[in-house]
Amino acid sequence: MRSDIVISVKNLTKTYRIFGHPGDRIKQALTFGKMRFHREFTALQDISFDIKKGETVGIVGRNGSGKSTLLQLLCGILKPTSGSVKVNGRISALLELGAGFNPEFTGRENVYFQGAVMGLTKEEMDSRFNDIAAFADLGDFIDQPVRIYSSGMFVRLAFAVAVHVDPDILIIDEVLAVGDAIFQQKCINLMSKLQSQGTSIIVVSHNPYHIERLCHQAAVLHRGKLSELKPAKEILAQYHEMVQEDMIPPPVKNASLREGSHELYFEQVLIENASTSGTNNILTTEPMRIIAEVFARRPMDNVRFRFELCSSSNDIVAVVATNGLSEDWQLNGKHRISFTINPCQLTSGWYYLNAIAGSKYVRLDTWQRVIDFKVLLRNKRAQDLSLDQGIFICQGHWEFS
Amino acid sequence: MSTMTLNPLRIYADIWHNRYLLGQLIKRDVLMRYRGAMFGVLWVFLSPLIMLTIFAFIFGHIFQARWPQQDAGVPFWLLLYSGLIAFNLFAETISRAPTSVRGHPSFVKKIIFPVNILPVVPLGAALVHAGFNFLILLAALSLTGHLHAGIMLFPLLVTPLLLLALGLSWFLAAWGVFLKDMTQIVPVFVQMLLFLSPVFYPVSAVPEVLRPIYHYNPLGAVIETTRATVAAQSIEWGAWGIAVGFCLLAAILGYAFFQHSRDEFADAL
Repeated sequence: MRSDIVISVKNLTKTYRIFGHPGDRIKQALTFGKMRFHREFTALQDISFDIKKGETVGIVGRNGSGKSTLLQLLCGILKPTSGSVKVNGRISALLELGAGFNPEFTGRENVYFQGAVMGLTKEEMDSRFNDIAAFADLGDFIDQPVRIYSSGMFVRLAFAVAVHVDPDILIIDEVLAVGDAIFQQKCINLMSKLQSQGTSIIVVSHNPYHIERLCHQAAVLHRGKLSELKPAKEILAQYHEMVQEDMIPPPVKNASLREGSHELYFEQVLIENASTSGTNNILTTEPMRIIAEVFARRPMDNVRFRFELCSSSNDIVAVVATNGLSEDWQLNGKHRISFTINPCQLTSGWYYLNAIAGSKYVRLDTWQRVIDFKVLLRNKRAQDLSLDQGIFICQGHWEFS
Repeated sequence: MSTMTLNPLRIYADIWHNRYLLGQLIKRDVLMRYRGAMFGVLWVFLSPLIMLTIFAFIFGHIFQARWPQQDAGVPFWLLLYSGLIAFNLFAETISRAPTSVRGHPSFVKKIIFPVNILPVVPLGAALVHAGFNFLILLAALSLTGHLHAGIMLFPLLVTPLLLLALGLSWFLAAWGVFLKDMTQIVPVFVQMLLFLSPVFYPVSAVPEVLRPIYHYNPLGAVIETTRATVAAQSIEWGAWGIAVGFCLLAAILGYAFFQHSRDEFADAL
């Protein structure tokens, strides 16, 4: 192992043996593994990477992708099924909030105990205690039993101890999310300081901002396989795309609800993107066209059409209507109307459409949730990803003077 | 990562390396038991005192019991008590051993922790209690006028039992992780052992045929020798020596078994 490499992972695979009954493990041990009583589940598959001294690596991945298993293997808590993990230096890990803390003991006692777990003596902890207490900012609560702490206080104390024990390698698993924005900022500042002192850091986070801000490199973990280490921005774009791919439409609550007199009715409602008609995938940056084929059973005018775009949480995002426009349209038999939104501008996610047709006095056809469609943001530039929040991506122009 | 080892020096080194943490764990363990109680840590002292008082009352006044071979000197209830100190040390350790690792899943799964010292904690806590019991024994001996210098051998004579308890503790802790039933089995076993070991009777009262079993099992040998030293009788160093060898072997094998199986703890818990 080269001297500047602190963690070297080679062909790491972790397979869990899942026993249906606790006794099955014993039975298998008693038959020296000749009889199998378990199923296997491969959590990680053939992972290799190196982390250099002073380098910060972010790992992103969906729930269940194996992130926690990977961190546990790096810490030596789990044993690899095959492959190897070589660690050069002392690891301080924050894998789960409050793990190793005894709720009955005070914050102060727990700080010293954590120090002991990390191999620090009382004297060594004495010299660090004030820094820890100051960072955790618990006031008098430091001498109260930990069980009365709020989760925010808990994470502050746990993080304070983990970073103040002079680790060579700091491993943080998604615990910062518990703290408020100010605390997260404090953590990031402190981690930046550790970076400059040569500490290697491994962060798992769902917050793209943290990854981008802290990590030199990142990797996506997907179904137990780790991508190459690449600059954080590239990985975040890749991850974002992956999440979008896997998004599932919201469940249909009461099927598609339809009512009205149906003297005029929608035969079909479709969505068209720049290239395909009848799709339900739209890119944020491309035009989106809503096409409705309607049929009028008798000659009529004074009809208004209306499309409601709804988010997966059933909020109306936008409404387009023909009010003041379609009153003099003469309808009889089959017609085709369309509306083009250019560009689509919606943030990524699932949406659905309600189509409504009505005359001045009667409801002709109200078709709720006539079609589901998915909006995707395809853009490799990470700065654009940070805009993929809220309801729509605003177009406009800046001025500077 | 852990490696299987049969080297007794390795065991010593592993424990010594984590001595500060181990001390903290034992302190926590003892304090936890009394935290919140009105008399607090005073109970460490109170409970054996109450037990001894009851012994003195029942066996000293009500039953007026004597063992056949008992010539003079130390009252019967103190002999019982001294045998119980050794037995309780052993019993307390192994009763709690099956949960010593199982009871701390977060130490195994969520933090980097020298799991191999966890089964030492029940022994440490039992030693603290045994220490207080011993002080009370000393006090009672001096009050009854039977205190003598030979009693200072007591701690030395108990050492093989510590090794045995430690070895079994490692073994039971590992089994306890995989099999929850251990927490039920061990206390029953311990209860049986209380009557099977020569605590309430001397080995000489056992039928001739069975006597070797009592002589050569370390628990019996240690109880006999510690009691002999309290009664200022001659000690059978031979039986004790065999016990030392046996107990050392138990500790080594127990540790090896623990280290061998600990890789699976995180998966099993």
